[in-house]
This record gives sequence, C-alpha cells and structure tokens, in this order.
Amino acid sequence: MADKRITIQATRFDPEKDEKPHMQSYDIPFADESMVVLDALNHIKSYIDGSLSYRWSCRMGICGSCGMMVNGTPKLTCNAFLRDYWPHKVVVEPLNNFPVIRDLVIDMDDFMHKLKSVKPWIIRKQEIPLGAGPHRQLPEQVTEFRQFSECINCMLCYSACPVYGLDDKFLGPAAIALARRYNLDSRDQGLKERLPVIADSEGVWECSFVGECSVVCPKGVDPAKAIQQTKLDTTLRFTLPYGNRD
Amino acid sequence: MPSGWWLRKRHYFLYVVREFTALPMALWLLWLLWDIKSAGAGASGFQPPRGIGFVAFSAVCLAFAMYHSYTFLKLAGVIIHLKVFDKPVPPGVIVFTMFGLWAVASIVIMALLIGLGR
Repeated sequence: MADKRITIQATRFDPEKDEKPHMQSYDIPFADESMVVLDALNHIKSYIDGSLSYRWSCRMGICGSCGMMVNGTPKLTCNAFLRDYWPHKVVVEPLNNFPVIRDLVIDMDDFMHKLKSVKPWIIRKQEIPLGAGPHRQLPEQVTEFRQFSECINCMLCYSACPVYGLDDKFLGPAAIALARRYNLDSRDQGLKERLPVIADSEGVWECSFVGECSVVCPKGVDPAKAIQQTKLDTTLRFTLPYGNRD
Repeated sequence: MPSGWWLRKRHYFLYVVREFTALPMALWLLWLLWDIKSAGAGASGFQPPRGIGFVAFSAVCLAFAMYHSYTFLKLAGVIIHLKVFDKPVPPGVIVFTMFGLWAVASIVIMALLIGLGR
C-alpha cells in the first residue's frame, strides 16, 4: 500500500514582497496517526520550505503559542490531529481578527495591552509580609475562580469573537475572564482598580453573548460566562445600596 | 470581517437569528403604542386591526418572542451566579426556576387580560 499523504495549505505573506497574503500547498507524508497540524508545519519547515513562519513552543497545549485557523476554526495546532481531517486537505491560516506580521504569525500587541489593562495579578491594599506564611484559602474559595485561571492566553477566543472582529476596541473574552479570575479570588482586593476597565462600554457591555469564545477555548474556560456574570455583578453594584463594596 | 461572517458557522447563524427576533417584536410593540394612542382619543378613534395579515404578523411576532425568551432563559444558568447558604445553586435549577416563573407570569397576564376583557 502506498504511503499515506496529506495536503497542507498554508497562508504565506512576506510584507517586503507581497501586497496581500496568498495560499501555498504542500504535500507531506502522513505516516503517524498521532501527527498533529503543528507536526505537519514542522515537517514543511524542516524538509520542504524553511521560510515558513509560525509560532510554537511547548507542543502540549500549555503555552498557547501555536493558535491558528485550521479549516476555518481557531485551534491550537498542537492539539489538532491530522487524522480528523484526512483524506481532505488541511487549510492553515493565521488567527482571524489580528493583523498578520508574516505567514502564520499574527501581531498580538493589542491583546497584550488589553491583558495588562485588567491587571491580571493579585492586588493587595497592604501586602502580607512573606514571613507571615502562606495566604490560606478554603477549597470552596479556590473553586470560585479555578476554571478562569486555566486560561493560557492563546487568543483563540478573540479569533472566534465577531464582536472583537467588528470592533477591536472591545476588551475581549480572555482579558475579562482573567479579570474575573482575580476579582473572585479571596486574596485579591483589586476590584475597584479593574472596574473602570471591565465595566466600561468597551468592556463587558460591548459583548452581545455570541458564546463562540467558550466553544473554541482549548482549556475549557468559559469566557462568555465570566462576561455575563460580570455584567450582572456590576449592575447590582451600581443599583443596590450595599453594592459599592470592596 | 467579511459581511457574510455570520453564515460561516451554525453557531454564528443562530446568534444572528436570536438577535434578529428582537426586530419584529419591536415593530409589534410600536404598533401597540400607536393603538394605545388611538384608544386615548376615545371609542371613535380606536379601530383595532382585524385583517388576516395582521393576525399572521402577530403570530410570527409571537413565535419570535417565544424563541427569544427561550434562548434568554436558557442562558440564565450561565449568567446568574447565585449562592444559598454559601452553596452555589446549580445552573439547571436556575434555568428551571426561570422557565417556571415565565409560565406563571404568562398565566397571570393571560388571566388578567381575559378577566379585564369581559
């Protein structure tokens, strides 16, 4: 039996030569059922065309670097198995809704600024001295925010979000999910510092609950839930007499 | 974003349908406001529409309103983060309660309208 092969069609774009991106096809061996799209790209780069550019690092769905559009859906390419697409071709494109720097590499500056704006770290009014020991939490307190802490900043949710695609001023799913992760953390006291950003018209109120961000998340985070719950919380804060609490 | 983005995926399409259902409801409510204004001028000025076209339009609006309400209430379990005695209420219970309240509110309003109409 002839060796199994698969066609990978990848976006190519060299800003110094090309006016706009174009597609290029590569026919590669598909010998191993455990091959993922990232393996295919690595094969192309190693044996066919060393100029193909893309981001990757850990190969195990942890670092969030290798997010791309695979047959029109935002995926971590290290987690997209070729066997799920074969014998059809696999079309690999840069993540939607972001400017393309080169080939499959997107410009993530906008996301990084948004992420920083929600201060995704524990904020204390007064730091607890290191000598005071660990800041203990009950299991129930950890459960409150745990799922939102699984976010790996892969930006698949931004790529799936038509609201962000239509208006990139929107703070976006991952940044809001991470803001909620810290707002729900019993050790954190930074809610008032984050509120001006997340409760802004370009924050949670821009979201119209498409829900696709939660569908594509490779880590099972539910950013749509974080956004809708934040809408409810900020509304109650604003309307209830006891709402303006820390 | 290409103009046909909402046709790319079933999920996007259903989202746009959900949002679109608000439009006929808004038109129907505009008509209702107009009717109330007409009724304010007395019995002579009030001429309720009786044509089959209006009945069909109302039926379509009702179907859209039902679909919109269904999608909204179904998502209540995601949105509402409620605790009773420090324990989180399961999303299924919240959704069931919302649908129950919807049914009760519908029955009460229907009874009021029938009662006032007699």
